Amino acid sequence: MPAAPRTSRNRIILIVIIIICVAVVTLYVRESDTGPLHSIQNFFLDLISPIGRAFEKIFRPIKDGVVNVFHLPSLSKQRADLQKEVDQLRRKKIEARELEAENQELKQLLKWSETQAQLETVGADIAGQSPDNWQRMMIINKGSSSGIKKYMAVVTEEGLVGRVISVGSRSSVVQLITDSRSGIGVRDQSSRETGIMDGQNEEILRFEPMKEDAEVKVGDIMETSGLGGTCPPGIVIGTVSNLRKRSSGLTRLVEVKPFVTFSKLDQVLVIITPEPESVILKEAQ
Amino acid sequence: MSRNREIFLFIVVVIAFILQLSVMPQFKLLGVQPDLILVVAIVVAVQDGPVEGAIIGFLGGMLQDIASPQVMGVSALSKALAAFLAGVLKDFFMTYSILLPVLLVFMLSFFELLLHQGVLVVLGQEQLPPVRAGALFAISLYNVIAVLVIYPLLRRFRFPEKEESFTLAGGNRRA
Repeated sequence: MPAAPRTSRNRIILIVIIIICVAVVTLYVRESDTGPLHSIQNFFLDLISPIGRAFEKIFRPIKDGVVNVFHLPSLSKQRADLQKEVDQLRRKKIEARELEAENQELKQLLKWSETQAQLETVGADIAGQSPDNWQRMMIINKGSSSGIKKYMAVVTEEGLVGRVISVGSRSSVVQLITDSRSGIGVRDQSSRETGIMDGQNEEILRFEPMKEDAEVKVGDIMETSGLGGTCPPGIVIGTVSNLRKRSSGLTRLVEVKPFVTFSKLDQVLVIITPEPESVILKEAQ
Repeated sequence: MSRNREIFLFIVVVIAFILQLSVMPQFKLLGVQPDLILVVAIVVAVQDGPVEGAIIGFLGGMLQDIASPQVMGVSALSKALAAFLAGVLKDFFMTYSILLPVLLVFMLSFFELLLHQGVLVVLGQEQLPPVRAGALFAISLYNVIAVLVIYPLLRRFRFPEKEESFTLAGGNRRA
């Protein structure tokens, strides 16, 4: 076979592929969320959502089995640690009873319970996860037909999971708080210092306080501040696990370990009321 | 490439896509998973040629783009270019053993990941630094494990016409 025509054919095919890709990227970036390419994506997400859920259920026992085998050597140490923790918790339980009465009064004072009662949620199953390594996202099996809208907060009983970034009719995409593009307005539960919680595509989050000299300690619990218009205030996120100097030496690096174990998520709740401020503003325009 | 091989590769890329979407996220190690579509595209480029690899990379990448909430076309572009490069680079290596695809997959995983993330940074979808060196290394190693399974598997399904063209292609080197 002559080499020259084949080389020229190869070049043409490669150039055509590059042109198609660049055209698709350009169209996608320039169109709105309701544009044709976004609609195709949402349609496919709706389509693959049940398949993903089925596979999740099939492989969950295998995955758990593999994880357990890897963790066998550390189980005895964990057992001893847990026993210690149980003893500590028993002591704390007694202390907690005394604090409970005081806490009830404070809650009433802050009308905290009223705010919580106003939260209306929709339960959803995890139908899939991001197929690549650079996004921390999950697909849930509820969409606009269940009242879900973009930017709504997603939680479990453990704490904040993330927020909805794309909505189909029967499925939605949730950006986890660990995603590198995620930024949530948060505050330190004890010192009330506010800042932004950034994801890093890892299991650890990074807290960027508003003030450089913010009072933050290891063990502090971080919760949503309500600033930013996505998440209602008071949803817990995680605990400060590490404080260290940045390589530049000028600022601190505050690492936060989330309460939610993302690899073991089965079901989540989407907070549909109150609606995120960003949704209300968008609808008003 | 024979018609049978074309159909076979199309089925393979669809299966890789389904596995990537459903099975691979269940078996993440160190927070990363292998990129089966990239590995299949590189293997096809080594066994069939750069353009064939690029087409498989493009199709698989586009499927991946459609099925995930990311900028459409970026994975298709990065995988097509990585596979094409694999097909071109393989001619510089004087071996047809499994070491060739292993080496190419390891090198081109870095290339594909950096290109993918680089495009997203240019588009303002990702911040710098877009990727950690540790994650890059882990994914590349994971892809190498995947190629040890995929390469022999795809080699077994070389149809008669393909055998001829493969011999012809390799003829220059042996002469």
